[in-house]
Amino acid sequence: MILERTRKTSPVKRILPGILIGAIFFAAAVWTYHASGNPGVCGACHSMKIVHNRWQASNHGQFACTECHLPDESLAGKIVYKTRAGLNDLLHETARDYGAAVGLSVEGRGIVDGNCVRCHASTIAGTGMAEGGTQCLKCHRYIVHGRGQDEGGIRVEN
Amino acid sequence: MKIKSVFFLLLSVLLILLIAVLVRVFFLTPSETIKLASIPEGEYDPAVWGKSYPLQYQSYLKNKEMAPSPTGFGGSVNVQKSEKEPELLVNFKGMAFSKDYTEDRGHLYSLEDLKESKRVTATTPGSCMTCKTANLRDVYKEMGWDYAKTPLAELMPRLKHPVVCASCHDPQTMGLRVINPAFIEAMERRGVDVVKAPREQMRTYVCAQCHSEYYFEPGSQRVIFPWDKGLAAADMYGYYQQRPSGFEMDWQHPDSKARMLKAQHPDYELFSGGVHAQSGVSCADCHMPYLRDTGRKYSSHHVTSPMKTIGGSCRTCHTQDEGWLLDRVKKGQTSVWELQHRAGQTIAHAHEVIGKAGGAPKVNAGELDKARELIRRSQWYWDYIAAENSMGFHHPGEALSTLGQSLDLAHQAIGAANRAAGTHY
Repeated sequence: MILERTRKTSPVKRILPGILIGAIFFAAAVWTYHASGNPGVCGACHSMKIVHNRWQASNHGQFACTECHLPDESLAGKIVYKTRAGLNDLLHETARDYGAAVGLSVEGRGIVDGNCVRCHASTIAGTGMAEGGTQCLKCHRYIVHGRGQDEGGIRVEN
Repeated sequence: MKIKSVFFLLLSVLLILLIAVLVRVFFLTPSETIKLASIPEGEYDPAVWGKSYPLQYQSYLKNKEMAPSPTGFGGSVNVQKSEKEPELLVNFKGMAFSKDYTEDRGHLYSLEDLKESKRVTATTPGSCMTCKTANLRDVYKEMGWDYAKTPLAELMPRLKHPVVCASCHDPQTMGLRVINPAFIEAMERRGVDVVKAPREQMRTYVCAQCHSEYYFEPGSQRVIFPWDKGLAAADMYGYYQQRPSGFEMDWQHPDSKARMLKAQHPDYELFSGGVHAQSGVSCADCHMPYLRDTGRKYSSHHVTSPMKTIGGSCRTCHTQDEGWLLDRVKKGQTSVWELQHRAGQTIAHAHEVIGKAGGAPKVNAGELDKARELIRRSQWYWDYIAAENSMGFHHPGEALSTLGQSLDLAHQAIGAANRAAGTHY
């Protein structure tokens, strides 16, 4: 009897819970993706405090971290890079083993350069720089974060 | 059933791990401040300070390290410099630096090295301890400049600590301060009140109070920085040519009979004109970089070659990778070394030629005096760079120019000596 009833369950009913769970997971993933891209989350990390403060005060303060620091070619590429970079940051933030001067990787630099051009393409149009491979940060590296890295260390408190 | 419980177990472990990570990252953040400790004025033992400022103290203890420099020039191993530069033995003939002239070790050794130096004798004046110990503060407070002419041996029992925290820090505020009266007076003459100087300046002045050229005033043995005409080799030479307080020379060279000057580590002077100083970079920015210990950023008190900490020292401004930066520094220093070595050898030859000319039967005394004056100047220029601790890095252009002039002056000295005696050496 029991076996018979099982066999009779419609395929829709059997898939439904899966769809529901999947939808919840999907919604959670989308929420996490957006929430973790909030500059407040980036700035909450100890190692990011200085660059976060400088960015807020800069003339690029209206843009989120992810707008410059995530690749802009495809959504899949964005998700993969964000997951990879996020796990790396989380790992080192937890271990607190990040180096003296936190800086961009070669890959990260390329991504930021690409995002500069996304808005400033007209600035370099008609110049040799428009041919691609332009390293904007070579000259303009202090625009957003200033020279925040050499800001003082532990302060003596009265 | 079994699979289900394993699944839940895994899930809860993951959840706990996630919560632990989030709590550590977002709530248990490393402290950015440290409580000001109450350390009494006159406490010079760095271990006492270290209890309150452990990160700085731990890095200070690394000054014990004796290691060659990553560039191959300088370093903190106390080998005789004459092993690499035998010309030093000729150029400093007749004075203490030909007996003992080693590569300098870290701050922790300053007092020990003073005691062990073969340059120190029973008649060495107290002024020699000025930069070797924080106890200078008390001695100067009590005796004023009288300590300078007191024999060093008499002061020695009072000198307990080398260059320590108190040499640069006020224990009450932990702010920066200088304790060397010679530096304070010299800066006053330059119109700078070092008590009111901003922190960024103090990050250079605490080093400059000792890493500078000086001489002892005849009679009083007071330490004086020869800065009244400027900080370049030519400026200081001009100052010495005026025979300040009757100071004429450090010693007379036994071969050439020239009245010689000995330069003492004009690190601050050379650095001052360089591109780093002119851009507002302080000594501490490179030599005491901010390092991290479990997320806490502290300034390293291991004062040594920045080439050991390129990440924290250079890459805060320079984006190139470490290998590239080290290579640039090595190339620059190698150029300076080649010219320094050549100038030193030519000066050694000049002493010999002038000596021989002096012994010739019919010698033109005026020409010979000219040769002696030229070698005095030549060696001062060479020594300004040779005694300096950065192998030219602090200001490469000035270093090469000064050495180039030294080399030319040495050849002029040889020419004058030959003219004086009619010889062709």
